[in-house]
Amino acid sequence: MTRILLAAVSAALLAVSASGATAQTKLSRNEIINSLQGAQQEVELSADELQKAALENIEKYPGANAPQSLPLADKLASLRQFNVEITFDFDSARIKPESYETVGLIADALHTPYLQGQTFFIVGHTDAKGAREYNLELSLKRAIAVREALVTTFRVPGDTLFAVGLGEEQLRDPSDPDAAVNRRVQLINLGYR
Amino acid sequence: MRQLIFALTAGVLLATTPSAIAQTVGFADAIKILAASCGKDIESHCKSATLANNEIMQCLEKNQAKVSQKCNADRVTVVALIQERLAAQAAAPKICERDAAQYCKGVKPGAGHILRCLLKAQPSVSQKCNTAIDLAGYR
Repeated sequence: MTRILLAAVSAALLAVSASGATAQTKLSRNEIINSLQGAQQEVELSADELQKAALENIEKYPGANAPQSLPLADKLASLRQFNVEITFDFDSARIKPESYETVGLIADALHTPYLQGQTFFIVGHTDAKGAREYNLELSLKRAIAVREALVTTFRVPGDTLFAVGLGEEQLRDPSDPDAAVNRRVQLINLGYR
Repeated sequence: MRQLIFALTAGVLLATTPSAIAQTVGFADAIKILAASCGKDIESHCKSATLANNEIMQCLEKNQAKVSQKCNADRVTVVALIQERLAAQAAAPKICERDAAQYCKGVKPGAGHILRCLLKAQPSVSQKCNTAIDLAGYR
């Protein structure tokens, strides 16, 4: 079973959970809202540009693992964002029923006035096992699957959501490339259109 | 201030008498019923269907002779719950039109700005509009 592990949260929340007791707290709609709201300005970055940058990273720095993170990493890190764990079938973009609730929570959050009218990237990430091109492709398919579920099943406006797959090009824990923490779906707020 | 205290009291009363008004549930609470009641059936009969584009619901319907009774019943419930929440969300701006004109003058329409204004103006906003906002899951 391959998992896209969406551990948690913003740095602030991580600091809280590091103290122990809250580490297993169930994901809530408000947690997603709080982490995503408050985008400062519209960001001039398209999903295509980001997708292209990931591909160029592989072409420019080939090898089993990416020797360095994306040039856009700093810019992305400065944006309001949230990481979630969504479970897929092995080597597939099919969301497992155990993760339906998580997708529903994202829909609940995105529908609220707090996040309406803003644009989001849905970014898929894998760990570093396997070929980088393959991981890039799989993570894109998974991000598209999450977007499709949000748009068709839960009617989140499609023109606010853009799917991107970064494969293993932007590991969450570069010191442990195969760690589960790297497998995740990341929501990034790009601000009001 | 008096208004605020009244609103808070009303909130407490509402919370303790939940059966008084029709309610809707969020998308997460709706779809988790499907996962709980139909998860096994989905994994055995719908391995090539995804959560998008009504594929899971169509697959379960097609296989209704094979899936559990509980799944067959709850599948219909889940569809209704999602529809109810969507309908409540579509209705809220219209129900709140008068409140928006009164309390959110000059707020630009679209992108949720007026709804955010109405959320902030909750103590002044009409009960009808506040209820519509609650039913939409916007609070």
